[in-house]
Amino acid sequence: MSATLATSALILAFFAFLAVPLIPACSELIRKTDHAPLNVVQQYAGDIRFFADGFRHYLASIQSNLEDAALSGFDATIVMPDGIPCVVLAPDAASHDLGIDSGICARTIVSLGDLALPAATSFVRDIYARRNLEGGTGDQYRAVLGEGDVHLALDSIVMRWVHAVGAIDCAPHCRLYGRVSSDRSILLHPGCSFTRLNAPRIATGDHGDGGSAESPEDTTWTTPNEILERVLHEGDFRIAAREVFVKHLVVRGELYIGAGARILGNTKAQKNVVLEPGVIAQGSLISSAALKIGPNCRLRGPVIAEHAIFIGEGAQIGSPKAPTTVSAPRIEIAENAVVFGTIWAREQGQVVEST
Amino acid sequence: MVYCLYFIVALICVYTARHYWFTLNRLFGFQRHPYIDVDTADWPPVTILVAAHNEEKVIANILSALMTVSYPEDRMIVIPVNDRSKDRTREIIDEFVERYPGRIRPFHRTSGKGGKAAALKDAMELVETEIILIFDADYIPGMGLIRQLAAPFFDPEVGGVMGRVVPLNSGHNLLTRLLDLERSGGYQVDQQARMNLRLVPQHGGTVAGVRRSALREIGGWNDSSLTEDTDLTYRLLLHGWKTVYQNRSECYEEVPETWPVRIKQIMRWAKGHNQAMVTYALRLLFGKHRATLRERLDGTLLLGVYIMAPVTLVGWMLALAVFYRGIAPLHGVIVLLSLTAYAAIGNLAAFFEIAAAVRLDGNRKRIALLPFLVLGFAVSILSVSRAAIGQTIDAITGAEFHWDKTERFRKAA
Repeated sequence: MSATLATSALILAFFAFLAVPLIPACSELIRKTDHAPLNVVQQYAGDIRFFADGFRHYLASIQSNLEDAALSGFDATIVMPDGIPCVVLAPDAASHDLGIDSGICARTIVSLGDLALPAATSFVRDIYARRNLEGGTGDQYRAVLGEGDVHLALDSIVMRWVHAVGAIDCAPHCRLYGRVSSDRSILLHPGCSFTRLNAPRIATGDHGDGGSAESPEDTTWTTPNEILERVLHEGDFRIAAREVFVKHLVVRGELYIGAGARILGNTKAQKNVVLEPGVIAQGSLISSAALKIGPNCRLRGPVIAEHAIFIGEGAQIGSPKAPTTVSAPRIEIAENAVVFGTIWAREQGQVVEST
Repeated sequence: MVYCLYFIVALICVYTARHYWFTLNRLFGFQRHPYIDVDTADWPPVTILVAAHNEEKVIANILSALMTVSYPEDRMIVIPVNDRSKDRTREIIDEFVERYPGRIRPFHRTSGKGGKAAALKDAMELVETEIILIFDADYIPGMGLIRQLAAPFFDPEVGGVMGRVVPLNSGHNLLTRLLDLERSGGYQVDQQARMNLRLVPQHGGTVAGVRRSALREIGGWNDSSLTEDTDLTYRLLLHGWKTVYQNRSECYEEVPETWPVRIKQIMRWAKGHNQAMVTYALRLLFGKHRATLRERLDGTLLLGVYIMAPVTLVGWMLALAVFYRGIAPLHGVIVLLSLTAYAAIGNLAAFFEIAAAVRLDGNRKRIALLPFLVLGFAVSILSVSRAAIGQTIDAITGAEFHWDKTERFRKAA
């Protein structure tokens, strides 16, 4: 082989190797198999009722069957447009056959009246109740939509979502993995775990009123003044008991707020924040670490922590007129606390017994 | 000469390590999205400034989108900042004002200094709210975006907010596809990693927000800056305000569809960024202010990203000169090993970052286009170097910067 030929071969080989990664690139450029813009959901505003609304819309497609069943007074078994079996329960039927086999109900359930479910059953399809729903002990649900009140019994599990137009009452040790929302109120008993809750009023504990010493209206909120001075403090900071602090506050260390102190601005700490009992904060409260809210504190919100939040007994966050959000990866709430608005625990939320 | 080369190589290695650090953090680190779950609140009043200069093709889209967002109507006012437009922009805005009474307060600017920052500065006279959100006219905000951008302002440490920009015309041609990949890397990995690591997420000047009291404290919009967003990022930082990045606050934009427009855009960005570097780098690194050590270091590196293009070119020239002069630095063997190591790892850093970003976005097959990024990088490195040289000459001759608006490609609505 001549030197020229060898050199040419070497150069050719070099360019051939260089071209190898361009083969799939050229193929994708010409055939365009993945060229659509990233899917940004323009019409979704993050509404917690999104799935409940979708299910309601889905049920509209069998409206005539529902009306027939209501008129006949007998239960009916139908097949939904997407092939899923569905049992329509007439309100006046003497008894219902839900088709439960070995503790599993594989049908969508649409109840035109009140609905009482048997215990220890796994409902793998969605459930709709036109009036109140009474769950059984140890039941497991995929999704529940109630136009009235919904009562989840002891040890219930919700896998995706539950929404009620009326009140939701979760007995002790319910595990709520998805979204739980109500147009009226949610009551969680000790041992309940959750991730995302939304209602005008969310209360914990055995008392239906959430155990607040005062009614929410007793606290009059004023919006933090925009022109309040902002204080930026390096290191730890302490607001004394019963002190009235009229500034926005940013602390680069830990923050301790003494009992009965009142803060009129927004507050943030880079490390832990501890609120002793009876603190009133009329602005937001944010921690880049953990936030411990003592008993009977009253916070306007939002309340945000990047690691964890503990809400003490009798604490009240938000108000009926100014609902707010409590957000952290992990949230623990003692009994008899009230939150008006949203509680969002990305990893896990838990209602704990007061010590 | 050799020591100069060592210095450049060291700089390139720092940026390479930074690419890897960001990518690995994004893939395996703790992800910070502290404000994204705030979906219920006593929402503050906001003003939305829409910067518009000859935007007849796109202005109706953004105004329509803003009229349907999920934010209390009585707490949101839209101010289209019509900056000396000579097309139908004014007419279209006025139609919307009539259709949505009380919700849009137009600002028709007919004279004054050119440029977005100058127009925003003048529009501030109409702003009455503490929270200001800013969009360029070619953006299309989704329903939940305004709430997402307003939520971080509940944090009194936050002075600026930046959302994610997503190209809408990504599939148009090779250039838009490459820009789509670059945007993915820049936002999905770079910006989010800086957010995760508490470094310096950059304000982008669109799909963004700023707190009025913070803006006032830092002296308002800097209308002599070519990139008012970069300028804003650093002035906020020096005054103890944070800029936060919200990766899930996505908004469609239009990217350039022709190379000349792209080159013009990146040259403007480079000049503006270098301008900020000259103004703030030393003060940020050594000055007495509130920034943390990691913010000082990252902020300085961020300021240097555009100057690295001409620095790299100089490095290549020096390497050739060293070779042809027969100098064997570090006994040759170490250099050879370093070169091999860099070829194996260093050259891949930017590609690794973009591939990771595309994967995080849930896309698969577009990763195949990665080799073409060499073309995009080559064009960028030359354009940015040209911009730096031009800027240096301008500085010597005392020539003034002038602001070029990026051309739109969308057909009129």
